Amino acid sequence: MNAPAIATQGLTRRFGQLVAVQDVNLSVAPGQFFGFLGPNGAGKSTTIKMLTGLLAASSGRIQVLGLDLAQSPVEVKRQIGVVPEGMALFGRLTGAEYLNFAGGMYGLDRETAGKRTAELLDFMQLADQPKTLVTDYSHGMQKKLALAAAVIHGPRILFLDEPFEGVDAIASGTLKAMLQRMITRGATIFLTSHVLEIVERLCSHLAIIHRGRLVAQGSLEELRAGVEAQAAAASADSPASDSFGSAPGGKLTLEEIFLRIVGGTRRTEQELSWLG
Amino acid sequence: MAGMTFSPGMRGQFAAIARVRWQLFVNGLRTIRGRLEAVARGMMFLTFGVAGLGGSLALAVAAWYLISRGNTEWIAILLWLVFLFWQLSPVMASAFTENVDSSNLLRFPLSFPSYFIIRLAYGSLDPSTVIGCLWLLGLTMGIGIAQPGLFLWAAVLLVTFALLNILLARMIFAWVERWLAQRRTREILGAGFFIFIICFQFIGPLMSRYGERRHPEAFRITARVLPYERLLPPGLAATAIASAAEGTFAPALAAFALECAYALSILWLLNIRLRAQYHGENLSEAVGRSSVPREKPAVRLSWRLPGLSGPLAAILEKEIRYLSRSGPMLFTMVMPVVVLLVFRLGPAGSPVREGSFLSHAPDLAFPVGAAYAVLILTNLVYNSFGADAVGMQFYYVSPVRFREIVLGKNLTHALLLACETVMVWLAVCFMFHPPAADVTFATVAGVAFALLLNLTAGNLLSFYTPKKIDYGAFGKQRASTTTVFASLGIQAVVFGLAGVTLLIARAYGQVWLAALIFLSLAGLTSIAYIFVLNQLDRIALDRRDAILSELCRA
Repeated sequence: MNAPAIATQGLTRRFGQLVAVQDVNLSVAPGQFFGFLGPNGAGKSTTIKMLTGLLAASSGRIQVLGLDLAQSPVEVKRQIGVVPEGMALFGRLTGAEYLNFAGGMYGLDRETAGKRTAELLDFMQLADQPKTLVTDYSHGMQKKLALAAAVIHGPRILFLDEPFEGVDAIASGTLKAMLQRMITRGATIFLTSHVLEIVERLCSHLAIIHRGRLVAQGSLEELRAGVEAQAAAASADSPASDSFGSAPGGKLTLEEIFLRIVGGTRRTEQELSWLG
Repeated sequence: MAGMTFSPGMRGQFAAIARVRWQLFVNGLRTIRGRLEAVARGMMFLTFGVAGLGGSLALAVAAWYLISRGNTEWIAILLWLVFLFWQLSPVMASAFTENVDSSNLLRFPLSFPSYFIIRLAYGSLDPSTVIGCLWLLGLTMGIGIAQPGLFLWAAVLLVTFALLNILLARMIFAWVERWLAQRRTREILGAGFFIFIICFQFIGPLMSRYGERRHPEAFRITARVLPYERLLPPGLAATAIASAAEGTFAPALAAFALECAYALSILWLLNIRLRAQYHGENLSEAVGRSSVPREKPAVRLSWRLPGLSGPLAAILEKEIRYLSRSGPMLFTMVMPVVVLLVFRLGPAGSPVREGSFLSHAPDLAFPVGAAYAVLILTNLVYNSFGADAVGMQFYYVSPVRFREIVLGKNLTHALLLACETVMVWLAVCFMFHPPAADVTFATVAGVAFALLLNLTAGNLLSFYTPKKIDYGAFGKQRASTTTVFASLGIQAVVFGLAGVTLLIARAYGQVWLAALIFLSLAGLTSIAYIFVLNQLDRIALDRRDAILSELCRA
């Protein structure tokens, strides 16, 4: 069996008294399109920041492609691409200059960097604004450029923090096409997103973090089976309990699975009665 | 601005904004860096307070003297001084105070009068306003002591004059902000600002050069200009005071009325700008995808820089592109030559006559120009990640060590200083005479020492007290106050050591000795530089949370 592309053991991060991520043990196999989900403040961004070297772990171990991130950060970073929350763009460069710069930083020679820059700008439909500075790009264009910079060196693993946030349907289509292409060529993708429909459609495997702890991990089918088994057990114990399930005969959607796992409750109409 | 009353709702909004500002200040003190920043700010305000009170005392004495002697019309000079300082010092110091982001406020149900007052209040507590008010207070006191009957009238006039200055400063800022919002107007304004500042530097030397000579033409022009001067706000305030002092109240009232008319006109212009913002004016230049398919231009390759590794070349190119797109930074780069020109046009106007200190010692022109170039460079090296902002995340996720990233930035800074030094040397040759070989060599050795020491300290401060800056906007290139004070300390060390070195060389009558001492100092500093450079990866990792939270904030 192949070594996992990403593996963590006892990954923990504390901010003073607050434990943002606690004892997380993740395992992502090579070639997986892995979705990392959780409610707001659950620890998704903290975890992805630790996995990519943007944040120090308080304790625990991170292995990427069999390499220890703390021991060999440069070797790990050479093989990964990252689109962090802030997109990591240099606003006062043009798109082409930024991609050439990224290519140079990943050690590509200038001809290769130039060729890939042209191809990426073309693919991302950014080629018709050659003189526009990145700071003047729209949000969607910036997302596409950040993704282009993250893949210019052909990474084996791609980390994406909320790649579809604030992106319109056209840009979103372009991003998805690129990600699918990478998966078919054997890359591993690790993404966090709040848009559960997109995650359900793209990701083969998932993990759910809640209050800093990993509460579920596996393929969508495995998660669904687990939740259905739990629901069946609960209804056998107490027939009146809310099954929270889908329509009879239908499969549970990711949203339903997610809500069941993180214990989400729908608010009643009595609450916030002053609101209109 | 009719109907400007403070309803309970407005009062609540003002209280909420004041509370949030206070909370931001208090929260800022949670970190050591925040506390250091607060101490540095306290020291800065103390300095401004001393300048304000000192100036206030001087103006009080001057006003008392002029009124006592019956030279009331000369009050105009004092008022012009206050007026020019008030309006020009923020521009000269590139210190437009931080302004409130309209879009943040306009989400809330603020009425236009509330919005107007908040915009007026924000930034009105800047140093120029505080000092200007203190100076006018001094003037009023001086007038009151010299002629007690005039005190009340002078107080009313000078309060109006102060209000006019506050409104004018905010009005200028509001319009400049609008012009800076779009690239084309920003470029025009940048060029205009550049020419203005350069011209401003020459006022002193030209006055000294030509002021003492009798020029019938100049007298004629002055005689023509004076009546117009009296129609401008400082002239009007002076006329109103002088007329009242002479007991002629009709011209005094007319001047005061005209002063009020100026204030109202400025208020109206400010009102136009703020009303446009209030109604959601959006000057963003964000682009969308063009609907018209255009021919795709060929992508240019990155620069070919033989001898440099890929990452080093990439960083060097990126840094130079950033600097070349920053009007304010380019402007500071030519200042050493401008300063030499100012010295060249000093009172003597010629190196062989009395006056400018460089005319006495033209051999010092090259060292002085080079020292100024080093000072300008500190702007860049003490906060070298400030302009990268969120781009800093890229450095953290890229497979390049911070040692190499900083080396690339330092290389750019060294290259810039080398260009500046050559430019200064050529300017000295042109304006004075070619510097002697020993002076040239000693200066270059001194520059090398100063550069290495500044880079060593700057590399550390860039990680310990980073501050997000914007190369593209005037007044947004300032490092943190802690960095400013630390860099002042380093400059004191550099110039102290340079002074001692020059004294030793002079005592032995050998300029070459200075070169040798500087080279030895540079050698010692290079050891410290390499030591610090080797620690940077560890420091960057230790400080990544603090650095990223500062540079990546909105």
